[in-house]
Amino acid sequence: MSEAGVYLHVPFCAHRCHYCDFNTYTGLDDLIGRYVAGLGADLAAVAGAGPRAVAPPGADVDDRWPTFTSVFVGGGTPTLLPPAELAGVLRRVRDLLPVAADAEVTVEANPETVTVAALAELVDAGLTRLSMGAQSFASHVLAFLGRRHDPERPLRAVADARSAGVSQVSLDLIYGAPAEAGADWAATLDTAVAAGLDHVSAYALTLEPTTGYAARVRAGTAAAPDDEVAGARMAVADARLTAAGFERYEISNWARPGRACRHNLGYWRGGNWLGVGAGAHGHWAGRRWWSLRSPARYADAALAGRTTTSGAEVLDDDARRCERLMMGLRLSEGVARTAVEPIDEAGAGAAVRAGLLDDDGRRLRLTAAGRPLAGGVILRLLAA
Amino acid sequence: MTYPIQRIRNFAIIAHVDHGKSTLADRMLQETRLVDARMMRDQYLDRMDIERERGITIKAQAVRMPYVTRDGHEYLLNLIDTPGHVDFSYEVSRALNACEGAILLVDAVQGIQAQTLANLYAAIEAGLEVIPVLNKIDLPAARSEQVAAEIAALLGGRPDDVLAVSAKTGQGVTAVLERVVEAVPAPTGDPGSPPRGLIFDSVYDPYRGVVVYVRVVDGVLRPQLDVRLLATGFHHAIDELGVISPDPKPIDALGPGEVGYLTAAIKQVDQARVGDTVTDHARPAAAPLPGYREPTPMVFCGLYPLDADDFPQLRDALGKLRLNDASFSFEPETSTALGFGFRCGFLGLLHMEIVSERLDREFDIPLVTTAPNVAYEVHLRDAGGAAGAGGGRGSPERPPPGDQPTVVRVSNPSELPPANRVDHILEPVVDAVILCPSEHVGAVMQLCERRRGELAKMEYLSPERVELRYRLPLAEIIFDFFDRLKSSTRGYATLDYEPAGWQRADLVRVDILLHGAPVDAFSAIVPRAKAHEYGKAMVGKLRELIPRQLFDVPVQAAIGGKIIARDTIKARRKDVVAKCYGGDVTRKRKLLEKQKAGKKRMKSVGAVEIPQEAFVAALSVGE
Repeated sequence: MSEAGVYLHVPFCAHRCHYCDFNTYTGLDDLIGRYVAGLGADLAAVAGAGPRAVAPPGADVDDRWPTFTSVFVGGGTPTLLPPAELAGVLRRVRDLLPVAADAEVTVEANPETVTVAALAELVDAGLTRLSMGAQSFASHVLAFLGRRHDPERPLRAVADARSAGVSQVSLDLIYGAPAEAGADWAATLDTAVAAGLDHVSAYALTLEPTTGYAARVRAGTAAAPDDEVAGARMAVADARLTAAGFERYEISNWARPGRACRHNLGYWRGGNWLGVGAGAHGHWAGRRWWSLRSPARYADAALAGRTTTSGAEVLDDDARRCERLMMGLRLSEGVARTAVEPIDEAGAGAAVRAGLLDDDGRRLRLTAAGRPLAGGVILRLLAA
Repeated sequence: MTYPIQRIRNFAIIAHVDHGKSTLADRMLQETRLVDARMMRDQYLDRMDIERERGITIKAQAVRMPYVTRDGHEYLLNLIDTPGHVDFSYEVSRALNACEGAILLVDAVQGIQAQTLANLYAAIEAGLEVIPVLNKIDLPAARSEQVAAEIAALLGGRPDDVLAVSAKTGQGVTAVLERVVEAVPAPTGDPGSPPRGLIFDSVYDPYRGVVVYVRVVDGVLRPQLDVRLLATGFHHAIDELGVISPDPKPIDALGPGEVGYLTAAIKQVDQARVGDTVTDHARPAAAPLPGYREPTPMVFCGLYPLDADDFPQLRDALGKLRLNDASFSFEPETSTALGFGFRCGFLGLLHMEIVSERLDREFDIPLVTTAPNVAYEVHLRDAGGAAGAGGGRGSPERPPPGDQPTVVRVSNPSELPPANRVDHILEPVVDAVILCPSEHVGAVMQLCERRRGELAKMEYLSPERVELRYRLPLAEIIFDFFDRLKSSTRGYATLDYEPAGWQRADLVRVDILLHGAPVDAFSAIVPRAKAHEYGKAMVGKLRELIPRQLFDVPVQAAIGGKIIARDTIKARRKDVVAKCYGGDVTRKRKLLEKQKAGKKRMKSVGAVEIPQEAFVAALSVGE
């Protein structure tokens, strides 16, 4: 596995969106300085300990880090950090770990936190890719989702990113909100296409149990997303984005040729990556681990030189096969049979006959009809 | 030493479920000082856990109680417990035949019930002296006078002949024992004849082999005597002869009129069947005791392991259950939908439930159970010339070719021969006794008519209570009849029935097709006049019960290839996690593993995953 990534988590937001269940916090601005210091300390500790400390005990891994090909700063809202602090984090990664000169370096941002000057400072520190949440270009849908920006703000942010020299720009979109009409979604896609993006992620709105949205559904003041509607919206997204020259490379991700997110591909292909920051997950050679979720406790542990790891698991063969199937089938390239066998062959045959799966004897791939039903197909393929 | 015959009293207690039979038996054990209060536990005589939980007695048992009357004479009372459910009416009749008297125990709140009535008729037919007793007279809601009047009217006596007790408190129990001594005739029998004993129960014991409960009619049984069982031909020396008093105690002889048990290296209850006669192998009795009948399963269903690998375990489990239940049968069968399994026969629905529950509880094998059905006698048109022309799967017994039309017994609907080969079909019918409050007579009659019932008799037991007698096809009452009866009478109606032979009926097989392929496990034999209605209801029910799949699944009902109803289970539109990145992997994998465990509880038929509930969908296809 030649690709390796670094993920850094910034768990702060100015405001929490109704549908979000990520590990992120509002009103903790006072903690930011201490957190960034902790993140740096943790990064140094992880880098210094080497690959054996994150791999399964006794695993056959190199003593030294491979060259990292991607860095991804996610959140939360990483751009809530002062630009100099965030740039400092990017530089620190390069100081501590062998990062390839042409590595993909992504930062997530909220459109309203973006300025040309701030982005230029990040580009100077190595930023190559900006991923922003636009969600919708219909104001009533944004209101339903609890987004505070107006529909035009993301477009200005895309232009600002181009001015600042960011080479790749991606927008996130959300479909299937009960407030959204079919025409809203079509218009949102057209606007995104017209914005001249390199990459689009389009997600079905999902009801996560711990969110404000879920509470409203339970209280009867909001409707739950409808799978029928979501299935139809996904088909519209695929048609419009494909017609505009994007390639669908994953269930929810479309990119211009050569602009797929290298870092995320690592997740779906079962690659290795370091996860640093509160609640961040990492994976190395069959061991997964995750850090303390609370930003304050994470920062305190890191600054005191204690472990920030909260849990870990070493995957057995069954679990690894299950993960390869679950993650790999999400990709349009599919997954090699040898990586996931044994599978439920009767289930595979049924899925092929139903037109949901391609099976050329070497690789398994979902068809266009199979993608919206990936969950059911994966379940059918899992050996009992 | 055998007990003097004139001081023996053999009796049973006839009562409806929950009317207090076991509690009264408990009080008798205490009253006769067989069990002291300290050792007493509720329902002392009931053995199996399932019995105690359901408050019913599945197996008859006899307890020997020496009792000293108020005037100082010692008597031997044998209480023979009878099963309390309609499925076991033959066992009830054998237990009653082992007695000279019966206590008719009636709940003073609820009054007499259909099942009690049926057993009472059986007792009267067997020539038993009946002692009427009212129970639960301590309850505030007791209607002692009315119920006593009802009983007196039924038995042709006076209301003040009816004894009143509270089995719970023990009030009145001594008077009952005194009445048993006075009223129940002593047995008669010849101690010098070759021995004849009536088997009224046999129970499998993993340590001693089968324990046979026997009422000696003539002659004397002794340990080491080489006994023969006349119906099965089994013979072996008696290993142990004993009585239950209230725990097993060996005894050196059992003479005429006495009741006890024996063991004789009998491996399974099938070899010592209820109703059979025990005699001396060397000097056998000239004739068996009357009334022996082979157990005949009335209700059938398919049992299939959910996981095909469990087939050998299921076979072993069924074999073990059969060791102590001779009235249950099983034969291997193959279903195109469900694979390898067994066609099992039961005395009735409760019996079926008990067996499946025991399988589940004692062996823990996940099963698919098909909807129950009755057996049919199918008279074929051809005499064998066209044999093998198709349809005759299974192995129907065929007499040698000749002029007689071939008759096959079909216990699996999918094995019904094609219509063009069938001359006519007979289905089993029962005579049902239903007791209900008079205000609900209309509803009950309506229900029975919808179920193809024919009214045989209607009689008012009192202005408030009516006895209805119907002849009904068994197939019409094995599903939800009892529930419907209860719900249309606010729970007041009671039901009992007994087999009444076979009757010609116009029946067809309705097949169900999923995704274009017939699923044999869903086939059912129904009256032609109701076939369309049934097909439509089944199709609708299956659409509800089978979850949406990854593709559209057409559901069709057909008679002989002609589609009579159709519907479609629409495919799911979306079933995928929108976001799945590095931090989601562990959680999502665990979720998937959980879903996979759920998938194991589904049966894949073709490409369609079917939950167990769907296989018994026919059960809930009511009106």
